[in-house]
Amino acid sequence: MSGPPPPVVIPNFGGASKCVTNNDLFCADWVQHNWGSTLQPALLEHLRLTLIAVAIGFVIAFAAAVVARRLRFVEHPFTLVGALLYTIPSIALFQLLVPFTGLTETTVEIALIGYTLLILFRNTLAGFQAVPEDVLEAARGMGLRGREILWRIEVPLALPAIMAGLRIATVTVISLATVAAFIDDEGLGSPIFRAIQSNVFKTELFAAGGLAVALALFADAFLVLVQRLVTPWARRERT
Amino acid sequence: MINRKFRDPARPLAALLAVALAIALTACGSSNDNSNSSSASTSSSSSASDQPGKGKPAVTIGDKNFTEQYVLGELYAQALRAKGYTVKIKSNIGSSEIIDKALTSGKLDFYPEYTGVILSELAHQKQRPSNPDEAYAAAKKFEEGRGYTMLDKTPFFDSDALAVKPDFASKNGLESVADLKKLGKGLKLGAPPEFKTRFEGLIGLQKQYGVNPTFVPLAIGLQYKALDDGKIQAADVFTTDGALQGGKYKILKDPKFIFGFQNVSPIVSQKVLNAQGSGFADTLNAVSAKLTTEAMQKMNAAVDLDKQKPASVAKQFLQANGLS
Amino acid sequence: MRPVIDGFPWITDNLSLVFDKTGVHLLIAVLALLISIAIAMPVGVWLGHVHRGGFAAINISNVGRALPSLAVIAILIGVIGLGRNTLIVALVVLAVPVILTNAYVAVDTVDRDVVDAARGMGLRERQILARVELPLGLPLLFAGIRTAAVFVVATVPLGALTGTDGGLGDIIANQASYRLEGVVGAAICVAVLALLIDGLFAAIQRAVTPRGLRGQIDFAAVQTAAASNPQEEGTP
Repeated sequence: MSGPPPPVVIPNFGGASKCVTNNDLFCADWVQHNWGSTLQPALLEHLRLTLIAVAIGFVIAFAAAVVARRLRFVEHPFTLVGALLYTIPSIALFQLLVPFTGLTETTVEIALIGYTLLILFRNTLAGFQAVPEDVLEAARGMGLRGREILWRIEVPLALPAIMAGLRIATVTVISLATVAAFIDDEGLGSPIFRAIQSNVFKTELFAAGGLAVALALFADAFLVLVQRLVTPWARRERT
Repeated sequence: MINRKFRDPARPLAALLAVALAIALTACGSSNDNSNSSSASTSSSSSASDQPGKGKPAVTIGDKNFTEQYVLGELYAQALRAKGYTVKIKSNIGSSEIIDKALTSGKLDFYPEYTGVILSELAHQKQRPSNPDEAYAAAKKFEEGRGYTMLDKTPFFDSDALAVKPDFASKNGLESVADLKKLGKGLKLGAPPEFKTRFEGLIGLQKQYGVNPTFVPLAIGLQYKALDDGKIQAADVFTTDGALQGGKYKILKDPKFIFGFQNVSPIVSQKVLNAQGSGFADTLNAVSAKLTTEAMQKMNAAVDLDKQKPASVAKQFLQANGLS
Repeated sequence: MRPVIDGFPWITDNLSLVFDKTGVHLLIAVLALLISIAIAMPVGVWLGHVHRGGFAAINISNVGRALPSLAVIAILIGVIGLGRNTLIVALVVLAVPVILTNAYVAVDTVDRDVVDAARGMGLRERQILARVELPLGLPLLFAGIRTAAVFVVATVPLGALTGTDGGLGDIIANQASYRLEGVVGAAICVAVLALLIDGLFAAIQRAVTPRGLRGQIDFAAVQTAAASNPQEEGTP
């Protein structure tokens, strides 16, 4: 460097509590302090990654199931591709997509959607296939046409199976989305990886890991609740 | 399709999907708000006339996979935002080999890199520079040869170094890296995986010093814990690591400079530089000029030891130095 | 596209490395699977035999399935620290629910008339379990082990992202040294390994299934998705 070095002011960065510097088991003060800047954004990113994947996955799987309901030969190949995708480990699938779509959210979403297809397709189709033939006959007798039968008879009757599929798919995606941070630095995986890197910072590991577990359990419970709300008849039958 | 006079049982499902999408969009919106609000708050503190970045196309800065890079990424990004530039950060992309691909494929507009790493890992030069300026000049020449350029380098330099526990050093009479030779394969050396294939790593150690330890690959940031736990006896560290403060570890001398000279400089493509105007380079250079070894070490320590967030550490530093 | 194509010759060029990492990969997976079986199988089978704790058994599985694997590893690192053992414990925590629930359902759903008949013939409880319930429940029991095996093999690579051995994951996580071809090559290997394990267990499952009941056994994933359907309906 030429000339005198510029005066540099190094602020006091505020230090940390004893708990944090000792890396004790859990420091509530750190969580409180970093909730808004780290944990909450990661949680929201995680939720967004999950919802986009489940929503798009559902649209694809639902459309495929609608087709497969009439054209039986579609079922097997779609199931096979879905099962293949489902069996490939997430970390491998993410990496196999990187040459095509790079270290981006697109890569992450494509893989996550891939994991939802099998579950959603099979459940939706199973729901359709469980609709009794005489119910369909009756609907036709009432003069309903294909589309009307689908939306007013088949979909409502398949709803419990569809909801069960959505439940498994959502929980699966929440789990796999944590690994996605390895490809694209967002979601609850991001603080987990950083905590490991930062001399295994326990508080952040517990906070972010705990949030991921809580999100999965909460989503599961929430969807059970929704399932009951949208299919009240299913419950009535049982009791 | 759903638009019917009578009650449609399919509606709850549609409503559910609509709610899901609404939440997704809100979550999306709010995460954007976060980055916007931080840029808004920093820019509001500077005078309105001093905004060369207003109306310029958005730029994306990347950073590599360790603490100092997160801090550097935030420092440069926040300083630019304060001048009205629109900046997106893609953090924790990976090692030099990976981030360089992201840069050359256009996914990034610029990122902070170490001069010595450019020479050995990207330019694959065998010749070792003998001082920091020579390293910077050679690296700059390489980058300019492929359509990029390097802005001013930082006063601080951060190179790899080998650290051992002081009592282990005194027991085995270790002063320099060369002294490790007598320990042979019995020495366990922990370092990031890429250390294995780098000249500024195992290759240089073997060629220049004849040191041939047992290599233990470790994620960056875990080496101090591994040293403390006795899983390794020597660790690859960065000289600006916050953990090195306080004499808990001893750095071995590197008389043959295999770890090179590692000042930091943002690598930017010529195209981006032209599109952003002169204020862009000026802003980045003003930040680099403040980054002394002490400053960098303190900031790294704030993140690594006090577990503060890189963004907040960078913000405090920029504010204290009138750069935000 | 190129790196994907280059992934294949990379595998053949680096066979010894690939075998080496696959060995570690399988070692960790087998250890975790054996421990999981040793814990979950007796408990599940016993609960199924006495037809007790069904609610708990099914719900443990539901909760277990919901646990994000990386989060479990992260929390365990916080408790036990870094290392291969932490990874194995995490794998066990994640694999036990699947095996336990399947073992429970396998034994619990054996035709009660058959069990009563055996009891009438003077067989003791232990003999009923060993000669009637287990043989009849074997296909479902193996379905659980199979799902767990595929899951464990798929999850070992996370070790490489969390500061310990990850078998083939070590290569996936180290693009700097192995370049994108190596990462893609190792990813291909992990995918093939998971499919092979699935196929292997499918063969075992087929072997233990009475001839008449051998319908189509596809991927473990298909069975899980199918099996979870009635299960969902069953939970109140």
